[in-house]
Amino acid sequence: MFNRRCLRGFWVFASFILLSTAWPPLARALTWPEIEARAKGQTVDWFMWGGFPSTNAYVNGYAAPRVKELYGITLRQVPVKDIAEVVGKLLAEKQAGKGAGGEVDLMWINGENFRTAKRHGLLFGPFADLLPNQKLVNWGKPSVQNDFGEPVEGLESPWGSAQVVMIYDSKRTSAPPRTVGALLDWARKNPGRFTYPAPPDFTGSVFVRHVFYHAAGEVAVWQGPLDEKRFAAAAGATYKLLKDLAPFLWRQGRAYPENPIRLSQLLADGEVDFAISYHPAEASKMILDGLYPETVRTFVFEEGTIANTHFVAIPFNAADTEGAMVVANFLISPEAQLKKADASVWGDFPAVDIDRLEPAWQARFADLPRGAATLPNDVLQQRQLPEPPSEILIRLERGWDEHVLKGR
Amino acid sequence: MKRRLFGSVVAAVVLLPFVPLALWAFSHRWYFPQLLPEQWGLRAWSYVFGTAGPQITEALVQSVLVATATAILSVAGGVPAGRALGLYHFRGKDLLSIVLMLPILVPALCVAMGLHLWLLRLGIAATFGGVVLIHLTACLPYAVFVMWGVFSNYNLEFEDQARSLGASSVKVVFRVMIPLTFPGIVVAALFSFLLSWSQYLSTLIIGGGKVITLPILLFALMGSGDRPVAAAVSIVFVIPALAALALSARYLGSRRMMGVW
Repeated sequence: MFNRRCLRGFWVFASFILLSTAWPPLARALTWPEIEARAKGQTVDWFMWGGFPSTNAYVNGYAAPRVKELYGITLRQVPVKDIAEVVGKLLAEKQAGKGAGGEVDLMWINGENFRTAKRHGLLFGPFADLLPNQKLVNWGKPSVQNDFGEPVEGLESPWGSAQVVMIYDSKRTSAPPRTVGALLDWARKNPGRFTYPAPPDFTGSVFVRHVFYHAAGEVAVWQGPLDEKRFAAAAGATYKLLKDLAPFLWRQGRAYPENPIRLSQLLADGEVDFAISYHPAEASKMILDGLYPETVRTFVFEEGTIANTHFVAIPFNAADTEGAMVVANFLISPEAQLKKADASVWGDFPAVDIDRLEPAWQARFADLPRGAATLPNDVLQQRQLPEPPSEILIRLERGWDEHVLKGR
Repeated sequence: MKRRLFGSVVAAVVLLPFVPLALWAFSHRWYFPQLLPEQWGLRAWSYVFGTAGPQITEALVQSVLVATATAILSVAGGVPAGRALGLYHFRGKDLLSIVLMLPILVPALCVAMGLHLWLLRLGIAATFGGVVLIHLTACLPYAVFVMWGVFSNYNLEFEDQARSLGASSVKVVFRVMIPLTFPGIVVAALFSFLLSWSQYLSTLIIGGGKVITLPILLFALMGSGDRPVAAAVSIVFVIPALAALALSARYLGSRRMMGVW
């Protein structure tokens, strides 16, 4: 009798323990002021690509002191070379059974790594809809709803937006080609003066997608379910175009720059005439920093260029989830977004919808000085193309490797 | 005369690579094919001392602490191991020397990845001690090999003499062995310090972002394409290493190092 009662007590106790530990989105039960209260005094370790001095300056020189002041959170930037290293580390920790107390509290993550992290259950959340500033974000936009075709589902919070621009030096190239087709013709007429980063580099990969849209002659159809026959025809045409172009590229296409940074160095050193960037204001910032001559300008293709959103996410075993959420919320505050958009600080485009801000904030965004090489907002917005689903992206990257790089 | 000429050639070869580094660090606009920067500026230094100042100082202190701790522990392990290998013959000595060499032969990435799981289980991953331990896997073999060389030329009779005059074992160690092998100890410490100083991958994997050393910041910036900033951080990185080299320079050519070179 005594034993049985004891056993029942044990089961009640055990299920209580189980419930309280197997319920990690405990944050659900917390209100935002409670989350802010818990966040106070936490140290948030934010792992991110540390290659951009302007991003580093924004995070360490502005965001860190500001969240300390506003929320009592210590924000510590951990610069890495590639966020994939961090995803690998999380995967190892998951295997080793380290489910809590992880070092990574917040990470700046790109679409492909987000997909990996999401599929392996390495992310905390959904948390995005808990953040009060989320109302400033237009979640109806396909580029916010999906990160490279992978539904975000609240596992990431947006930080900024990006759109592909072409960069050139107006002193050297007075009339740059305005469409993908014209650019390919230009490259054939000017051997050795054009190249693009080798996929799977993000920028190289997005250039291949522009050629894919050009070869297919249509954009919207790829957003739906994949039509194998149609895809095979368009992808085949893409590889043929790029393969035939290769001998006219920089170093006859025997070598490709490894990333957009190498490409922009080639442009600055006068070895090629175009660079490609995911960041519309990057060229202006580089002029300010003396890395590009003052005559550098940007343009977008007449048929449009691909636009997307970049996000931050919280790992499944983060030690300071509340602090990380408060920081993620701060990052999409009007104040933080305005500072980030300032070309003299970083010049990254906002993730929030300017129309949803109070008029006073809208005016401040309108008053921001635009860099000499940055295109006006309306020009950019009228020419935005969606990213195709990551399925197409991955197939194109593999196909490029097989047909263009190895098929020479 | 001849010696001085040789010395200046060596100095020139060592210092020449730093010239473009210094030029880049103080340049503002410098495009191909200009021989010298078109415009000079201090943007890179205002980044190093201004916005990134606290982060770089913290990393500098962390690097010095890690490298110093690693150097002290490598010497502490290297001296007795080197003494045993240099003075005594025993079975399996060849095998042992191969085992000692293994951490150098096996790619550092494999060592760090493999040990990461163990350190995680022991709960010392992402701690200062964990990083020092992983650096030791790379540094200890060098310290052992340097001390092995030193002790293979070591004359045990000095110790016998001291003992016959009534010195205790502790006294023999501190008054005879350490003074006689001191140049070797300095070189072993220097090697370990420099090797630990330049570790990137193992620090990144084991340190897990909690222990940020200077190479972690430097490698992240190297990829930025911002040559002035990368050059300025490189200079900050290389100065302590050069200082360690300069401090120990007078021992490097010492006669008592004969067994090593």
